[in-house]
Amino acid sequence: MIGSILIVDDEPRYLRLMEANLITEGYRVLKATNGQEAVHMVGDKHPDLVLLDVMMPVLDGFAACQRIREFSTVPIIIVTARGNENDRVRGLDLGADDYIVKPFSATELLARVRAVLRRAQNIGSSFQQTIFNHANLRIDFARAEVFKDDRIVYLSATEYRLLLQFAHNVGSVLTSEQLLVDVWGTEYREDKEILWVSISRLRQKLETDAKNPQHIVTRSGLGYTMPPL
Amino acid sequence: MADQNNGAVQLQPQELDAVYTLSQAVASAISTEAALDKIVKIARPIFIFDNIVLYEKLPENGLDPTYARAIGRGRFREADLAWGEVVANEAFQNGRTTTRFEELDGGSTDRTNIRHFLGLPLRLAGQSKGVLVFIRFGGPVFTPDQISLAEFIALHVAQILERKQLVNQIANLEAKRRLDSLQDDFIAMISHELLTPLGFIKGYATTLLREDTSWDESTRREFLSIIDEESDRLRNLIDNLLDSSRLQAGTLQMAFQTVRLDTFLKELSLRVRSMHEDLRVDLELRTPGLQVSADPTRLTQVFENIISNATKYAPGSAIKLILDKKNLQARISVQDYGPGIASEHLDRIFQRFYRVQQSSTSVRGSGLGLYITRKIIQAHDGEIDAQSHLGLGTTFQIYLPLLQKSDFSQS
Repeated sequence: MIGSILIVDDEPRYLRLMEANLITEGYRVLKATNGQEAVHMVGDKHPDLVLLDVMMPVLDGFAACQRIREFSTVPIIIVTARGNENDRVRGLDLGADDYIVKPFSATELLARVRAVLRRAQNIGSSFQQTIFNHANLRIDFARAEVFKDDRIVYLSATEYRLLLQFAHNVGSVLTSEQLLVDVWGTEYREDKEILWVSISRLRQKLETDAKNPQHIVTRSGLGYTMPPL
Repeated sequence: MADQNNGAVQLQPQELDAVYTLSQAVASAISTEAALDKIVKIARPIFIFDNIVLYEKLPENGLDPTYARAIGRGRFREADLAWGEVVANEAFQNGRTTTRFEELDGGSTDRTNIRHFLGLPLRLAGQSKGVLVFIRFGGPVFTPDQISLAEFIALHVAQILERKQLVNQIANLEAKRRLDSLQDDFIAMISHELLTPLGFIKGYATTLLREDTSWDESTRREFLSIIDEESDRLRNLIDNLLDSSRLQAGTLQMAFQTVRLDTFLKELSLRVRSMHEDLRVDLELRTPGLQVSADPTRLTQVFENIISNATKYAPGSAIKLILDKKNLQARISVQDYGPGIASEHLDRIFQRFYRVQQSSTSVRGSGLGLYITRKIIQAHDGEIDAQSHLGLGTTFQIYLPLLQKSDFSQS
C-alpha cells in the first residue's frame, strides 16, 4: 500500500534520514518539527501513518500521541532514543501502534512501517474525525476548540474532557460512574455531585436554553446522553 | 452586607461548639475532600442548606467546581438543579459576600424552584482562591448571623485550599528538583548525547548499505559527510567526557609555557574566522604585550568552547574579544549580542552537565563545555565569570595572573 507518512522530529537530520528512505518506497512524506504541529497536520492532511519522536519542544511525542487519539485512529509509530521499558509501555498505552528505538537501521524502519501499514489495512478503514458538529455546537478536535453558533466557547480542561466523552459516544447513555472515572479518575467514582455541577456548567456555556438542553440530556436514573440528530 | 455584622455576632453554645469542632476538623483532615465532608457534616445542623459547591480558581483565572454536595431537597434533580454559577462568578468578580434570590415558575408546587444563594469569596492574604456557594431551596433567607457563620466556614475552606496548593507546590518543586538532579545523572546524559550522533551514523550508514535501492553521487556524498561530521561530534563528546573526568580527578596534564596574549588572540581569531565563515569576530587589544604562563592548547580549548557556545545560543551575533589588564591580572572578555542568559541560570552554567532548560531541546550540547572551561582556567590560577542581560547579550570574562619579572627569569 502506498500512502502518505507524517514524520515528526526536531532534529533536521532525522527528518532527512527518514524522508530519504521513505521516498524510495514510494511514500509521500509530510514533515513536522514538534508535537503541536503534528497534531494539527494529522487533522488537516490525514496522513496514513505517523512516525513520532518523543523529546520535542512545545508538545512532546507522548502528549501529541494522546491528542491525536482524541480524534483519529491513524497508525502511530513512536521513534525515540528513550528505549526503557517504562517509556515503551507508556507510548503503547497512549495509543501508539509500534515503537522504534534510536539508533535504528534504515531497513528496520522501513520493515516496521510496512508491517504497521499492512496491519492497518487488514483492520479496515481508519477513523478520523477532526470536526464534530452537533446542531449549533462544533468541536475542532485537533485544536481542542469548541464553538457555539460559530463563536468560540472557553471550557476548562475538565469541561473539555467531559464534552469529549459525549462527542465520542453520540447516542449512548453514559452513566455517572463511567463519566466520573473517565474524566476525573477512579477516586472520584462516587462523587456524583461534581459531575452534576460540571454538566450544569457545560449546559450554561453550550446550550441555547440550559433548562431545555439539546446537547447533553439527562436520562433519569440512567445517566446522560448526547442524542443523535 | 455581611461584614458589617462581624463584630455583633453572638454565638450560641451549640454554634460555639460547632466552630470549635470545625477548626479541629480542618486541622486534622488528611485530604481536601475529607475536610470538606467534615465541615458539611458539622455545619449542616446549625446552618441549614441544601447544596454546597466549591469553585476553585483556575490558573488562567476562571472557576472550576472541585467539590459539590447535594444534601437537602432536590437530590434527585442532579444536573438540572441549581449550582450557583451566577452567584459564584459575581462573588469572584467583586470579592465580596454576595446573596442572590431566584424564583422560577412553579415555586408554589416545587420548592427547588425558589432558590436562595450565598456566594462567599475565598481569600487568604489578599489572594483569591475561589468561591464557596451555599444554596437553600424554598427559604428562609440567610440571616446576618448565618452569613457571618458562613464567612467563618469560608475562611477555613480557604485555609484548606491554601494547604492543598502548598502541598501541590511542594510536590512540583520536588519533581523539579529530581529533574535537576537528573542532569547530574551521568547515565541520562550519556544516553541522550552519545546516542544522538550514533543514531545518525547508524541510520545514514544503513541507508547507504541498503541493497534494494541505489543513491546518486550527490546524495551519497551528503550522507557520508553527515556520518563524518557526526563521528567528529562523537569524538569531541568522548574527549570532553574524558577531560572532564580527568579534571575532576585532577589528573589532566598541562604543558605550561610563556604565552603572549596579543599574539595568541590574533591567531585564535584567525582560526575562528576560518572555522565559522559567517561569523564576525572583532579583536580589541587594549593592553598589548601581556604575558601569562599557560598551556596554549588548553587555552585555545577554553576560547573555542565559549565561542562555539555563542554560535549555538546567539546565532548570527558578532563576537567581540577584548584584552586588557585589571589589577595584576590579564583580562580577556568574550562578548556576544545574543538573547542572553536569565540570571537564575547564570550561576549554574559552569556546573557539570548543567544546561539551560529552554535551549536544551533545540540545541545540542552535553553540559560539559563550560565546566571544562572553568576547570582549565582554575588550573591556570585564573578565574572566569559570566555576565548577561536578557536581549542584549552575554560576556564571559577570563582573568589570568600576569607573569612577573621574576617569573621571566625562571622560564
